[in-house]
Amino acid sequence: MLLNVNGVECRYGSVKVLEDVSLSVKGGDFVGILGPNGSGKTTLLKSISRILKPHKGTILLNEADIYSLKSVDVAKQLAVVPQETSIGFNFAALDIVLMGRNPHMKRFQMESEKDMAVARKVMNLTNIWHLAERPINELSGGEKQRVIIARALAQEPKILLLDEPLTHLDIVNQLEIMDLIKDLCVKEKLIILAVFHDFNLAARYCESAIMLKKGKVFSAGSLTEVLTSENIKSVFNVDAIVTRHLVTNSVFVIPLSPQKTSPSKKCSIHLICGAGTGTALMKILLDEGYSVTAGVLNVLDTDFETAQFLKIPVTTEAPFSPITEKTHKANLEMISEASLVVLTSVPFGYGNLQNLEAAIAAVEQGIPTFVIDEVPIERRDFTKGKAKALLAELKSKCAEFVKDQNELLSLLNVSVEKLKIAKEERDRFLAHLKPREVPKETKMRGKGEKS
Amino acid sequence: MSTDEVESTFFRRTSRWKLIVLLLVLALIVTVIVSLNVGYAQIPFPDILGILGKQIGLIDPSLISPQNEAIIVQIRLPRILAGVLVGAALAAAGVLYQGVFRNPMADSYVLGVSAGAAVGASISILSGIGFVFLGLRLVQVAAFFGAISAMFLVYNISRVGSRVPITTLLLCGIAVNFFLFAVVGLMEVIAGDELHAIVFWLVGGFSNVLWRDIWAMLPFIIIGIVAAYFYVRDLNLLAMGEETAHHLGVNIERAKQVLLVLASLLTAAAVSICGLIGFVGLMIPHLTRVVIGPDHRILLPTSTVIGAIFLVICDDIARVVATPFASTLELPVGIITMLFGAPFFIFLFKKKKQSYAA
Repeated sequence: MLLNVNGVECRYGSVKVLEDVSLSVKGGDFVGILGPNGSGKTTLLKSISRILKPHKGTILLNEADIYSLKSVDVAKQLAVVPQETSIGFNFAALDIVLMGRNPHMKRFQMESEKDMAVARKVMNLTNIWHLAERPINELSGGEKQRVIIARALAQEPKILLLDEPLTHLDIVNQLEIMDLIKDLCVKEKLIILAVFHDFNLAARYCESAIMLKKGKVFSAGSLTEVLTSENIKSVFNVDAIVTRHLVTNSVFVIPLSPQKTSPSKKCSIHLICGAGTGTALMKILLDEGYSVTAGVLNVLDTDFETAQFLKIPVTTEAPFSPITEKTHKANLEMISEASLVVLTSVPFGYGNLQNLEAAIAAVEQGIPTFVIDEVPIERRDFTKGKAKALLAELKSKCAEFVKDQNELLSLLNVSVEKLKIAKEERDRFLAHLKPREVPKETKMRGKGEKS
Repeated sequence: MSTDEVESTFFRRTSRWKLIVLLLVLALIVTVIVSLNVGYAQIPFPDILGILGKQIGLIDPSLISPQNEAIIVQIRLPRILAGVLVGAALAAAGVLYQGVFRNPMADSYVLGVSAGAAVGASISILSGIGFVFLGLRLVQVAAFFGAISAMFLVYNISRVGSRVPITTLLLCGIAVNFFLFAVVGLMEVIAGDELHAIVFWLVGGFSNVLWRDIWAMLPFIIIGIVAAYFYVRDLNLLAMGEETAHHLGVNIERAKQVLLVLASLLTAAAVSICGLIGFVGLMIPHLTRVVIGPDHRILLPTSTVIGAIFLVICDDIARVVATPFASTLELPVGIITMLFGAPFFIFLFKKKKQSYAA
């Protein structure tokens, strides 16, 4: 079995929804169709399933134009599991699965023993035989979807098109159904074309994928070629970390929330962190419009990798090495550029003790310094009390201690809000004069000194 | 329930279906014979059987009173058979409309078919021409063609390229329906002396039915119902939604086209015999679905027979209610169908709505 899509173009009215889409698949291929909403995924499935005839291009099923075949003949080879189904009248589950036998039945023929055997087989595969006599509208969303999948399988198709087939299913159901479909793909050499919204499900089951952007094929090929962080960024406008999962060894995508276009706050924050304690904060602060720097971090540290990914400037030290005087100085230089310093609940050993000294230096320079004191210092001090002593010094020098990341963020928001109100009031009073810009740094610094 | 039990229950269904249809047909025959006994003139039951026997050459003709024979054969029998045909046609059409539209409210009114018939009938009544075409009165011919033209009008307005989306069809149908009934209203305003005739036609009744009306419409109704039976499985699949039906191998545009033409043909034939009779087409399929289930393979035949039985009984009631007053006055059957049918339907629906509600 071969399915060839050649240069297909589809339009709704004058709006092009698919343009020059080509793909070629053969029995045993499991192809994921990826793309944001409105990128043409469903339209592509519709044109293959003969709902929407393309304006240009051809779709060939074993070299025969699919639009020249009879509906019944296509239905014997191609089945579709739609995104949603509403069933007009209250048929029993078994009746609905048996409807999948329609293309194989003559006009006045009743269901035969063979049809029943097929229905029983697919209902056992999808684990719904016990629901056979239940009316469809009394079933749960997941059970209903299994009935619909069973109906598609009852057609004994060579090609299965799935349009987000897992929307109504919980995680166990999703995996069971996908395992089943994957199994059919491998054993019975079915062609599976499936639209996915979940990258990780796609990664787990598909060998190849196409990624659509605005109706065009943006990338196509093996899954690892298509599902890259660059492609995800340009098609979905989402930052994502793409790695291989340690357990399943399939490509694993961790999407980060879409980049907010918060106006730049012209305020630079230096993070003293490590061991992953700064990772979440880096992303959030960037999203909020702050510019972020970090250090000192060891190369290969989790926070270092995040910083690399988010393109945050970092003062670095060699892997697993204590901070040298040179890097410490470089870090102090970086700190002096910042308008704010944040020290996370990082564990301290002899290797990074100097980062605490850097924080103290920041306070001494008059830079407002926040200390996130989420984990008690006793539990993360591996320097026999030296770190604890330095932290106490930090407190005595009026660094601001907060209990967690959220408190820090609300404080930051409040202070930014205050700055804004103060500026507006000033602007109102001085409306007739030339408005003067109040430098945020000054104000922030003032607050830090007061507390 | 074990695998074998589920399967054997399923395969027993076919024979159960046959039994149901057989019983219903028997019930229909009994209803027809009993109904022959209903009316102003009291004719003993044995005489009725004798008269029927005479028609098929079983009974010696000399035993039968010619006056009673005329009442039975020339008046009661055609009117009862008309009830059978019209009831069957309207119920079958209702099944088709509801199946194609997947909408429980669909009936001959949604495509403007009834309204088209009403316009044709009222124009011809107003024209006062006593024209007879192939033995049919002008009203009947006009109603028939009015119905068919309204259907083609709505169908062509709703067509988008080669497709006819159901929503467009429903909306165009409703718009045309309102327009045509406005025309009927206009006719009624200017009708003067003919107003009574128009109103009477609009509620529908069997008082003027003759044998030739039955012979004229019989082919349409039989062909309509038989042809519809070719599409029963397609109707089941259409219930899954048009796209799904398409994926399961139904040529949906052709199926819709054929089914709508058949439904409209059935409606046109029915209303041309007896005027507009409401309720049958809308409610009988629902009622049957509540009892029998949604499978059109059994729904279509049972609805057809139940529609026939229902309408014959309603006509009996129409005659009985009128009897105490005079032999000539009678209630239009369209009023009876709604007056008695609607409460019965509501009763049944309330009892079984749990399993019926989608």
